[in-house]
Amino acid sequence: MLFWLIAEIIKILIVFAGLLLSAAYLTLLERKIAARIQNRMGPMEAGFHGLLQPIADGIKLFFKEDIIPTEANKFLFILAPIIVVIPALSTFAVIPFGAPVKILGHIVPLQITDVNIGVLFILALTSLGVYGVVIGGWASNSKYSLLGGIRTAAQMVSYEIPLVLSIIGVIMIAGDLSLSKIVSEQSHIWFVVYQPVGFIIYLIASTAEMNRVPFDIGEAEGELVAGFHTEYSSMEFAFYFIGEYAQMVVNSAVIVTLFLGGWQGPLLPSFVWFIIKVFFVILIYLWLRWTYPRLRYDELMDFGWKFLLPLALANIIVTGFIMIILKG
Amino acid sequence: MEALFYIFSFIAIFSALMVISMKNPLTSALYLILCFFAFSGFYVMLDMQFLAVMQILVYAGAIMVLVVLVIMILNISKIKRVETDFHQKFIGILISLIIFVEIIFYIINGSQKKSTGIFTGAVIKKIGNTQIIGEFLFTKYTLSFEIASVLLFVAIIGAYIFAKKKF
Repeated sequence: MLFWLIAEIIKILIVFAGLLLSAAYLTLLERKIAARIQNRMGPMEAGFHGLLQPIADGIKLFFKEDIIPTEANKFLFILAPIIVVIPALSTFAVIPFGAPVKILGHIVPLQITDVNIGVLFILALTSLGVYGVVIGGWASNSKYSLLGGIRTAAQMVSYEIPLVLSIIGVIMIAGDLSLSKIVSEQSHIWFVVYQPVGFIIYLIASTAEMNRVPFDIGEAEGELVAGFHTEYSSMEFAFYFIGEYAQMVVNSAVIVTLFLGGWQGPLLPSFVWFIIKVFFVILIYLWLRWTYPRLRYDELMDFGWKFLLPLALANIIVTGFIMIILKG
Repeated sequence: MEALFYIFSFIAIFSALMVISMKNPLTSALYLILCFFAFSGFYVMLDMQFLAVMQILVYAGAIMVLVVLVIMILNISKIKRVETDFHQKFIGILISLIIFVEIIFYIINGSQKKSTGIFTGAVIKKIGNTQIIGEFLFTKYTLSFEIASVLLFVAIIGAYIFAKKKF
């Protein structure tokens, strides 16, 4: 019992520290990749090739003056960035990040908790992310923030539907909602082979859920200053960024678990494979961001409702038919 | 487990009280979400993980987002004056009296009952209640499931027609 408790706490600490650290260093990775795509050098001053840049940024944001607009609702203004971060961090609780290891005669699964509704747990927590943005936009009491908040809410509600429907194909093939079972079902072949359409829909819809560039109409710098976080400064502003990048790590981890075989792989230890795959998916997200221009508002809604949603529904029907034909 | 029950009950009752006593509608909405979370805690304690997640996914994740959006768009940042009339008070007192009598009735007559049927706690833990609910919906209760889905479909088309109509 005591061993189990200690192992659990250590796992939680590792996941928490790992997520926060990777969220911080993703800012550097993003700037470096943006620089590479635009033929620049990126941050070079702090440390070797800018390796200390995230730490410098963190210290700077921490010591900045915290400005809260006088007309703002103070309680909700401070609460909103926290609501963004918490669901993003707690989603990782159900993701298996390595094969079970044996320590002191006990078998410890490298997953904080293996609930039998893992996939639904992830979907429920991602659906809460919208509150942080909406409440932040409303509580700032500024036109730009409110417009950004409303736009983002409409966008996130629309793209959540294809996101949920794209996973159903995977659940149908695996026959289980528990993530550790879904990973073990993929020991022979990754689900991305059976579900290429579902994979692509999930990739696009999750980019929209995170408000990243082809879909970032909520913070569109050109028209809304910075959208829902226009009025934010200091650590609250930093929290929005931690939330966004932690969400990116979590979404990559979900994609790896559902479509790319989780921690499974030859030769290297399992958690190394997991990290390599997550890194690969994050690179796809970054590449998407610096390749495509922002969509117009009506184009974005049309794309979600008239293209992604029917495609996701068709994917479910086709998957069902093929499964019945192969069975019978 | 007993302690958890009291913690969740406290959160549920406290947040439900805050929903009706807050002046700012958006804060009320947020307290209602907290109330939903307390409910889903109860469901987890009763081994109904599926219901617990659905509570958050449907109510907190979808319905309350619409409520919050409406509050934001209508721009009602503060309720200035609450008007009450005799009818409201009468109906309110009547409903709370009925609920109070019901609670007393349950407390007097309630006793622990053994679960009936083949789905005992151990069986549910083994196969997971999502699978059981799915099986029931597509075998025993197919008709009601289909009726519900047709109703929802009609509602979607109705909403579309109302939104499309130009006056």
